[in-house]
Amino acid sequence: MSETQRPATLRVFRYEAAGSTLRPIIGDAVMPLSRNELVKLARDAIAQRTFVIHAVPGSGQADELCFIPYDDRCEILSIHSNGWRRHYGDHRRSLMQILNDLAAAVACSRLRLLDDDELRVELDRATPTLAFAISDSATLAEARTRLGDALELVGIEGARRDETVLCASEAATNALVHGGGGGTVSLVPLDDRVRVVVSDRGPGLNFLNWLETPATKRAQASMGYGYKIILDHIDRVCLHTGTSGTTLILDQLT
Amino acid sequence: MLHTTVDKEPEPTVHLQGEMDLDCAETLRWAVGDAAVDAQEVILDFAGVRFIDSSGTGIFVRLCLDMQQRGIRLRVHDLTPAVAQVFDMLRVRELVGEEVFVD
Repeated sequence: MSETQRPATLRVFRYEAAGSTLRPIIGDAVMPLSRNELVKLARDAIAQRTFVIHAVPGSGQADELCFIPYDDRCEILSIHSNGWRRHYGDHRRSLMQILNDLAAAVACSRLRLLDDDELRVELDRATPTLAFAISDSATLAEARTRLGDALELVGIEGARRDETVLCASEAATNALVHGGGGGTVSLVPLDDRVRVVVSDRGPGLNFLNWLETPATKRAQASMGYGYKIILDHIDRVCLHTGTSGTTLILDQLT
Repeated sequence: MLHTTVDKEPEPTVHLQGEMDLDCAETLRWAVGDAAVDAQEVILDFAGVRFIDSSGTGIFVRLCLDMQQRGIRLRVHDLTPAVAQVFDMLRVRELVGEEVFVD
């Protein structure tokens, strides 16, 4: 499906004041506004330390932008809508609900968007003690069981263990359905947290896959809630996504 | 994996056992379709469901709305805490109607 056929496209850019750089972190490099306009709005957000929302209406299309200042940089989340509208009775989430959740999670430091170098640093912090390959729902179910047992051994128990397993399962399901049909789930104990890493080598995530017709008979059009569950129940989430795959890092503080 | 058993008497009931994730659609639809023959109401007994995620929930919601359109009511019995928590998170009662849940 081409970009213009998609109901909507998510892009994330990062502005860094130190070098006055502006670069894409998620999605293609097509900017919703001119570089100068984006930089100006990003600088305003940093100066005011304020979350800024900016709308760019168009004919049947629209760009909704969120500017989220963080120290001397600003994350710019952009949803470009190609005219998709919810119909009555549609139980899936709206684009703005998704964008609001993402923006709020970035703003309160619960979600960190990683570039290639930042991902490498995070993955080099420790060696996984457990790793599972996920290729279908049977291997996913087996991973859930073994992950739950392993979490108990490192002190994540009861409801917190169940929530962590649920979130890992949501991430792994995304890998199965949208990430090329499989991936890996690994467990990395760190000093102050337990880390679950879910990776795939799919075509990259745009958060809006749920709007598309499922590619396989098995895949259901999801409700768009997987990421909301993850962001609501994991202490710190890091995301790296691009054309060579997606990695989600789920950290539960201990 | 989700396993189902169907009782026709005293009321058409589908007993659910196991895990409801992205692969439960066919099993669930087949069992509910079987129980719904010549019936206007089918009970889904969730007592044996130990795990559900957003995919399993989406499949349940879609099925519930489809059956409502066909004039068949699904009624949910005995939600386990694990399922109830996910249903609350995803506001399932608002999506399918409070009357579906028999507390």
